[in-house]
Amino acid sequence: MTRLAPRLHDLALGTLPFVLILVAWFLLPHLLDYPSYMLPSLGTVIDRAIGSIEDGSLLENTLASLQRLAIGFIIGNGVAIPLGIAIALNRHVADTLRPVLTFLQSIAGIAWVPLAIIWFGIGQGAVVFVIANTIFFAGIYNTVVGVESIPNTLYRAVRSHGGKGIQIFTELILPGALVQIILGLRTSMAYGWRALVAGEMIAGTNGLGYMSIEAVQWYQTETVILGMILIGILWLILDRLLFVPLEQRTIVRWGLIQR
Amino acid sequence: MTTTQTTDTKIRLDAVRLEYVKEEGRSRHLAVESISLDIRDKEFLVVVGPSGCGKSTLISAIAGFLKPTGGHITMDGREITRPGADRGVVFQEYALLPWKRVIDNVALGLKFKGVPKAERYATARRFLAITNLADAEQKFPHELSGGMKQRAAVARTLANAPEVMLMDEPFAAVDAQTRMTLQEELVRVWEQARLTVLFVTHSVEEAVFLGDRVVVLTPGPGRIKSIVDVSIPRARRNWQEMNQDPEFIRLRDEVLVQVRGQPVAA
Ligand SMILES: Nc1ncnc2c1ncn2[C@@H]1O[C@H](COP(=O)(O)OP(=O)(O)OP(=O)(O)O)[C@@H](O)[C@H]1O
Ligand SMILES: [Mg+2]
Repeated sequence: MTRLAPRLHDLALGTLPFVLILVAWFLLPHLLDYPSYMLPSLGTVIDRAIGSIEDGSLLENTLASLQRLAIGFIIGNGVAIPLGIAIALNRHVADTLRPVLTFLQSIAGIAWVPLAIIWFGIGQGAVVFVIANTIFFAGIYNTVVGVESIPNTLYRAVRSHGGKGIQIFTELILPGALVQIILGLRTSMAYGWRALVAGEMIAGTNGLGYMSIEAVQWYQTETVILGMILIGILWLILDRLLFVPLEQRTIVRWGLIQR
Repeated sequence: MTTTQTTDTKIRLDAVRLEYVKEEGRSRHLAVESISLDIRDKEFLVVVGPSGCGKSTLISAIAGFLKPTGGHITMDGREITRPGADRGVVFQEYALLPWKRVIDNVALGLKFKGVPKAERYATARRFLAITNLADAEQKFPHELSGGMKQRAAVARTLANAPEVMLMDEPFAAVDAQTRMTLQEELVRVWEQARLTVLFVTHSVEEAVFLGDRVVVLTPGPGRIKSIVDVSIPRARRNWQEMNQDPEFIRLRDEVLVQVRGQPVAA
């Protein structure tokens, strides 16, 4: 057996539900009677896709969304990971921050949109704030758990072989927490992606979420659906391109998780 | 033959008392009651005692992970206050870093010391060869068998050139066959490395096979019950000979009586 055969098998299985959805979508107008603005045909959506690719609006909106996501992701995790490590390593930091974080966690994300609009106005600032906020809370506890779950004997092994200070951090704490940190990056990006779409719908001036909500005014349902499909596809690609290789190269290789 | 043993004291335990303090209840658990013992320079000292008698606790204290609640532990006359590379610990659970290849695990202590890469790899390879792991240097720990992991852990400690190697039941988790091989290898490796070893085990056979002296602890809280000298020459320390060695059998039974409190048919 070659290595390719099982891969193709997986691919075929993974594609199957998508094919079924497409077939159902194609058949539905022939089976039920409904106005086309409620669910436009596949063809209409494809036409719309081609149109918006040609006028450049699709690329512009996609890039706007991705850029926002990237900024929110970097800010959110850039604060969450160091803070999570500090909470896990220092009892005083933990005791100080845990209550307030738990309080804020319940209102993380979309609930901040009104304030974000008041602070930053409609547009980039407000949406990025909401994304970063969402990502921060979706990721921070993974880092805390990751650091806390490093076995005590590993600390002892490192220290009894002369490891000190920053060495303990780079050689033990960071790699030791990586399973959870990667999980946190992945989860937080998924939550951030949702916050992005919602944030753009309410407070955006461009981007895929904004594109969808604006289309509603003109009953351009095909644009709404195009937006939804793109959001899904982009997430699939991001996951495959970013997180799967990252996991493969680190925690899978180290035998910390099986895949 | 090891008749050149010096009698200088390397580590001195002076009325050492070790307790675990539970934070909430203010209750204390006495693990080691009062141990006074001189570990001689370059000797192979084995501590044997039943489960829970405080062997790991004692190792932790000498390693500097745990402060005595009474008495003093000194090395070369200086009080031990923290862990350090001069006292390398080999743990029962191997404690290899899963994200480092075998060679990088073995070179860990040298990296901490700032030894350049080429040099620390050369040293690591030397100890991988000694521990029969040369073929496994590029593997990650999860790809090794239990016996190989334990060899890697020993190589990691030896490569760091500690003055004292503290070994906490390092061979308890491997099968009997592998354990015998590892014990024979350790005898051989120790003869080359010539460092002070404190080896903890609950196996009487292992204790007598490996040790220059065997310290028997009482059931917890640990105290010293007796110390047995083992003067069997190192050259005879392989299982084929030792199994029939009257001296070995006599000492093993003697220690067994100390541990169990009753004689056992040979
Ligand atoms: N972290 C801890 N907190 C509280 N009590 C502990 C702790 N570790 C060990 N003890 C207790 O101290 C005593 C000695 O434990 P220790 O682990 O030193 O025994 P041991 O001789 O190494 O046993 P074994 O042969 O099973 O490894 C035991 O009664 C144990 O319950
Ligand atoms: Mg123990």
